[in-house]
Amino acid sequence: MQKYEKLEKIGEGTYGTVFKAKNKETHEIVALKRVRLDDDDEGVPSSALREICLLKELKHKNIVRLHDVLHSEKKLTLVFEYCDQDLKKYFDSCSGDIDPETVKSFMYQLLRGLAFCHSHNVLHRDLKPQNLLINKNGELKLADFGLARAFGIPVRCYSAEVVTLWYRPPDVLFGAKLYSTSIDMWSAGCIFAELANAGRPLFPGNDVDDQLKRIFRLLGTPTEDTWPGMSRLPDYKPFPIYQVTTSLAVVVPKLCPKGRDLLQRLLVCNPAHRLSADEGLNHPYFNDLSSAVRTG
Amino acid sequence: MAGNFWQSSHCQQWILDKQDLLRDRQDDLTNFPDDEYQKVHIFYCGVIQAVGEQLKLRQQVIATATVYFKRFYSKYSFRTIDPLLMGPTCVFLASKVEEFGVISNSRLITACQTVIKNKFSYAFNQEFPYRINHVLECEFYLLEMMDCCLVVYHPYRPLTSYVQDMGQEDTVLPLAWRIVNDSYRTDVCLLYPPFMIALAALHMACVILQKDAKHWFAELSVDMEKMLEITRVILRLYDLWKQYDERKEILSLLSKMPKARIAQPGQSSDGKQGSQGGSQK
Repeated sequence: MQKYEKLEKIGEGTYGTVFKAKNKETHEIVALKRVRLDDDDEGVPSSALREICLLKELKHKNIVRLHDVLHSEKKLTLVFEYCDQDLKKYFDSCSGDIDPETVKSFMYQLLRGLAFCHSHNVLHRDLKPQNLLINKNGELKLADFGLARAFGIPVRCYSAEVVTLWYRPPDVLFGAKLYSTSIDMWSAGCIFAELANAGRPLFPGNDVDDQLKRIFRLLGTPTEDTWPGMSRLPDYKPFPIYQVTTSLAVVVPKLCPKGRDLLQRLLVCNPAHRLSADEGLNHPYFNDLSSAVRTG
Repeated sequence: MAGNFWQSSHCQQWILDKQDLLRDRQDDLTNFPDDEYQKVHIFYCGVIQAVGEQLKLRQQVIATATVYFKRFYSKYSFRTIDPLLMGPTCVFLASKVEEFGVISNSRLITACQTVIKNKFSYAFNQEFPYRINHVLECEFYLLEMMDCCLVVYHPYRPLTSYVQDMGQEDTVLPLAWRIVNDSYRTDVCLLYPPFMIALAALHMACVILQKDAKHWFAELSVDMEKMLEITRVILRLYDLWKQYDERKEILSLLSKMPKARIAQPGQSSDGKQGSQGGSQK
């Protein structure tokens, strides 16, 4: 720990406090995430272990890099590459306007990070703007794999803060226990719309019911025809049959038609019909993507 | 997770060189010359297997725990941490990593006590001496020593797909699978990629069952010499098993075990700080 000088507290992660710090030798700025071990029962928390495991294996420009794990008396500190802000703070700082090029670049990088995770059979399961880090070169990186578990998404995280429902797909809201990569693709769609609207969340639900109603009001209530097996999900309950009345052009007015088409293909209630990350990357919306982003 | 083996920490950090391995074990090999070292490892792998079975873990979790155990003692001597504590710690960590879930403290300790009492009384003349706080402390050293490389690849998955490709599932697979299980009693999981071990086991099974697979193997562009090295190591294990009675010999072997720095309560020789050289970095 002598190697790093703590600069300031950045926030509270899933299982501990995050600090900005400086490597005293190289002057490199890093993020230190301290793992609390006060839960005697579990030893090193499985959420921390899972994150360590995955980040040790997943090395990609759109995934936050784990530089090191420090051990000291009864404490574990993860050393991450430092990013200036997360997407939520970025929204706050851009005061209602993000230019279309930036939206496209962020969305492309998000899909590229996801495609890499998915090709390694890793689901993130908790994508939201707070978990997407942005550095000053405009690079976007997936972070916080602490909740990425095999079964069940916890409703409360370590600090007893309620995990947001806003980015959860209808199948998960109906209690589906078997997740696939489609869970992340729904979240990516919600984040895409939020990017296009410069930080206004697409479905800011208050509870599971309200969340589903908001989704169905925009996309229409799914039926057994459009989504076979829906009514057999564990927490399924019937909802009013909403018809689609609002076009996406009204919802995301600043997004171009190709972008709206991509969004439409991500926000599909039936998980089997949601676009995959690889398909997303090949969508015509990205045809005119700057080559710096494509190869960057 | 099942990712790309070639980019994995297993491939890049944990396929060891045989000469390095011998050098790093020098201390223990002085205490346990010739086959004795392997016999001690076989014994503790048996303890890990029994504890895992007692907890009803899948074989893959047990295999991962066994690899963790071998990784630890590939770098450190038995005198660093008592293997009787390290074994269950590896099981505890592996079950979290393999997403089997957390084994509760009391279940783990009870399983160890039961297994030591019912299955290994011939080797220990006392109860399992550790408590959960020892396991949690030990987990820390294990994580640090492995540089947090926790994802382990096993030969089972490649074996299954090779056998399917060969079209000999019913006959060859069960035997080859058993040979893979046995291979964890040797060092091959530290020295060779899992798919090579799978091929060696498959080759051995074909020879034993007199299945003609020459053609299939000839079409593979793999290093046959390496495959034969693995085969020789496994055959040596079978030879050793033939002329060795663990129940008779293990007590005298374990009596030569050096006192570990992290060891049974009250036996610790120089305080609680156990990790050799402290932080690795």
